[in-house]
Amino acid sequence: MKGVRILCMALLGFLMVTSCSENQDFDQLDNLEITPDYETSIFYVKAQESLINRVAGLSFFTQDFNFDAFEEPFFTKRVLEGVLTYELENTTSKPIEIRLEFLDEGENILDTEVFRMDAAPTAILSRDVAYGATGKSLDIIKSTSEIRLTAINLGDNSSESDLPDPSVVLRSSAKFTLELQ
Amino acid sequence: MRLTRCLFVISMLFTLGAIAQNKSVLYDFNEIPRSLSVNPGVETDFKWFAGVPLLSGISGYGGSNGISVHDIFADDGVDINVKFRERALNTLTPKDEFSSTIQLEYLTGGFRGDNPNLFYSFGGYLEFDNITYWPQDYASLIFDGNADQLGRRFDLGDLKTRGSLVNVLHFGVNKKVDRNLTIGGRAKIYSGIVDYSSTSNNGHLSNTEGQNNLIATNLNTDLLLRTSGLQDLDNASDSDTLTNEIISRALFGGDLGLGIDVGFTYHLTERITITGSLLDVGFIYHSSDPKSYSLKGNTTVEGIQINVLENFASLDRDFWQDLVDDIEAEVPFETDTKSYVSFRPTKLYASIRNDFGEPVGKGGQQSCDCTAGSSDGGELRTKYRNSVGGQLYVINRPRGPQMALTGFYTRRIGNILALKGTYTVDKFSYTNVGLGMNLQAGPVNFYIMADNLLSYNNIADTNYASFQFGLNIISWGRN
Repeated sequence: MKGVRILCMALLGFLMVTSCSENQDFDQLDNLEITPDYETSIFYVKAQESLINRVAGLSFFTQDFNFDAFEEPFFTKRVLEGVLTYELENTTSKPIEIRLEFLDEGENILDTEVFRMDAAPTAILSRDVAYGATGKSLDIIKSTSEIRLTAINLGDNSSESDLPDPSVVLRSSAKFTLELQ
Repeated sequence: MRLTRCLFVISMLFTLGAIAQNKSVLYDFNEIPRSLSVNPGVETDFKWFAGVPLLSGISGYGGSNGISVHDIFADDGVDINVKFRERALNTLTPKDEFSSTIQLEYLTGGFRGDNPNLFYSFGGYLEFDNITYWPQDYASLIFDGNADQLGRRFDLGDLKTRGSLVNVLHFGVNKKVDRNLTIGGRAKIYSGIVDYSSTSNNGHLSNTEGQNNLIATNLNTDLLLRTSGLQDLDNASDSDTLTNEIISRALFGGDLGLGIDVGFTYHLTERITITGSLLDVGFIYHSSDPKSYSLKGNTTVEGIQINVLENFASLDRDFWQDLVDDIEAEVPFETDTKSYVSFRPTKLYASIRNDFGEPVGKGGQQSCDCTAGSSDGGELRTKYRNSVGGQLYVINRPRGPQMALTGFYTRRIGNILALKGTYTVDKFSYTNVGLGMNLQAGPVNFYIMADNLLSYNNIADTNYASFQFGLNIISWGRN
């Protein structure tokens, strides 16, 4: 019995020792970089010309929007850089100004983005705003809790565009690189 | 260091990845009592046998058909990010698997009844098995993200995984019907310790051009993960009673199930034999600690959308929270504790064998009287020095049946030693050469076998490795 056990161990040992393995470096795992880019829409705002004409004064729309997406811990801890893409379309008969203000929890203004557009007909205004190493500070994004949108009518309150469904439309999307490891 | 490294790599292989291994070397190797485990209808000639507790049968297997440890972790100076992208992200598909099985037989034995044509066997073993298919689109989402891929549908059905830790108690009967036919059956009671499965997932995630906004993110999902035992074990771990909980769940305190194995051996001629077996036709009813997690629904998101004219009366509302609430309502994440049934991975073996060469021992009977056939009164069948043949193995897996073909040669040297060499072709390897040895020293039976031997010169570079060994005491009742 003892002899068989010894034989058993010897055979197992032989198998283990004669089996070889080239050098493996499992510490390489620490160097594995996981930095995906994610993209999605952020907000879309549409203000019709009929509404603009009804509001007296320059600013026809001011609103603070809660925007907690950038404040999520999963995001703030991992974001490396990003780009916000805006697209502004004006089919109304008046020049307009759109002002976007990024606010922190104390409603302090962190950053402002201003768009001015002539009255229609005019081309769509597109703008990419980078954050991170090659752009504005990432802290702006990480600390943003609210977005204040102000729309200003730089024209009159009576004219009407000939284009169908005249309105001011702001479209936006975000693309961010996260460091998951 | 070398031994440590080998052990580490082997352990890595086992952690790679539910499925039982193809025991191609053990199958139809009827000198070994444990061959009953892969064919209850194998020809037996023992009066009785008893496995040495915990040493009667230990087997393990780890494999990945698409990638090896060496592919990623070789110390070759190549950036791991380059290797991972070239050899995993850009190469592996959802059909590639990471799987492992470890089986530890802690009790086994058998005895011939009053009727010499009947041989009874019993035993118990612990089995851990796991299979995970490469979740290709999930990996793409994690490593590359979804940016700049408008129109691409990330398939959420790529997630398929299944695993369990089960204690199995079994009792079988092997009957020699006549000189040519032996049949066998075995009943199994499964006591599930842990189970998890997520195999019926569907859906997709995609970015498309938005109707209003720049991008529309579409989520269509039907995901389900079912678990049992994890919560109990987690709680036990917190209260330092993990061992007691595992033992309790292994001894019918967990989930219970039933199964059967059947098999046969039939001699077409004096030297040509066919065999077949169907194993683990059974199920486990998970009722002790089931917990399921599901994510099911459809949604399309274009961010916060404000139409000032339409929303004029409610512009003060929290559009962000409304968006989050809408998504959670349309794609609810739900948990429940309903019981469920899981089916065991059923296996099919079949073989055809041609015996040739001189009979073993005088007139085909060995001095130990270990020639195939019943030992008490039954007609003994001659064993020959050589056998050659082919085997088929099919197993039911989450992505459909999987097959392996094996050619084998068995050589019996005297009454003491029998060697079996195999060559197997399956999805893991086209160069799988296996070798098994059975040593009969008086009543002591020892066997050892391993697969994919050609990979042992660099085990880290193998896609598949398996081993089995065991120790038994056998009596033929005449000595």
